[in-house]
Amino acid sequence: MHIGSGFLSPPVWGTMAAVSGAALAASLALAPKRLDERRVPLMGVMGAFVFAAQMVNFPILAGTSGHLGGGFLLGILLGSPLAIIVMGSILVVQSLLFQDGGVEALGANAFAMGIMPCLVGGAVRRLWTRPRPGGLAFVFTFVGGIVSVLAGATAVTLLLWWSGSLPAQVTLIGALGVMDFIHLWIGVIEGLVTVAVVRFVLAVRRDAVIDAVPRAEAKKAAA
Amino acid sequence: MTTYNRATILAGIVVGVVVGGILSYFASANPDGLEKFQQDVGAERPVHKGIEAPPIAFKEYNLKWLGGGFWANAAAGVAGSLAVMGVLLGLGRLMHRRRAATDP
Repeated sequence: MHIGSGFLSPPVWGTMAAVSGAALAASLALAPKRLDERRVPLMGVMGAFVFAAQMVNFPILAGTSGHLGGGFLLGILLGSPLAIIVMGSILVVQSLLFQDGGVEALGANAFAMGIMPCLVGGAVRRLWTRPRPGGLAFVFTFVGGIVSVLAGATAVTLLLWWSGSLPAQVTLIGALGVMDFIHLWIGVIEGLVTVAVVRFVLAVRRDAVIDAVPRAEAKKAAA
Repeated sequence: MTTYNRATILAGIVVGVVVGGILSYFASANPDGLEKFQQDVGAERPVHKGIEAPPIAFKEYNLKWLGGGFWANAAAGVAGSLAVMGVLLGLGRLMHRRRAATDP
């Protein structure tokens, strides 16, 4: 879902660069409190996984393909701030080294594929960090995967619309309908893959996923 | 570095090779969701002036010197995965050190 070079107008990409830059700065400020020495390798491995998984396009519908976004998965496993840092790093490597996503569109792509899905993942995270994640965690992760992809797809459509990159005869509602219908199916895969990967990582590296200092205690210590 | 961390990083290398290097070769060549959308509504041509990425060894997800094919894709997948992991381990180390410095 990377927006290529030349599709966003300067005011739009400038605004998105500022928004995503601010979110990244906030994530860097929040992150150290959550970092312990086991979280750092997990960040590295999950970053490598999401980069690689984004190269694996699977066929959906007729003549279309989709790939994992991964921001939602990272939000669950690492929490939103670290996930935003990881997605930002992936998008920079993709844009500068592999010409995937326009350089000027980095802020917009970071918003649609990083910040939004990472925040949705962060919201679902606490369902998995409980001692025994139940059916609720499965359902919310599946639905959350769809929501996170649709949120990104909707944002991308709006940004292209504001940039004047959609033909005049296309209505915004029509464009959103086409884009979100395709991404509904990509979202279904995102939800299913995320459930499977979260379960796997929790099975092998649970101690790196769970916060060393539980949220309530950290709050008490800070007070 | 602990054995634990070394094992985790080794896992990252395996993931990069298996998923980025091998599995990605069998990826669907169909347009992805956004590309398909742009085809459907007739918005495939860039209308603004963009910023060019620096010219380097990769043309999209292929190593230039190897043209197309399996090895060009594998080299790009492995190099990209390791680049991302390298950046993150470096950043993580910096942030970890900063936390250690501010702790009482």
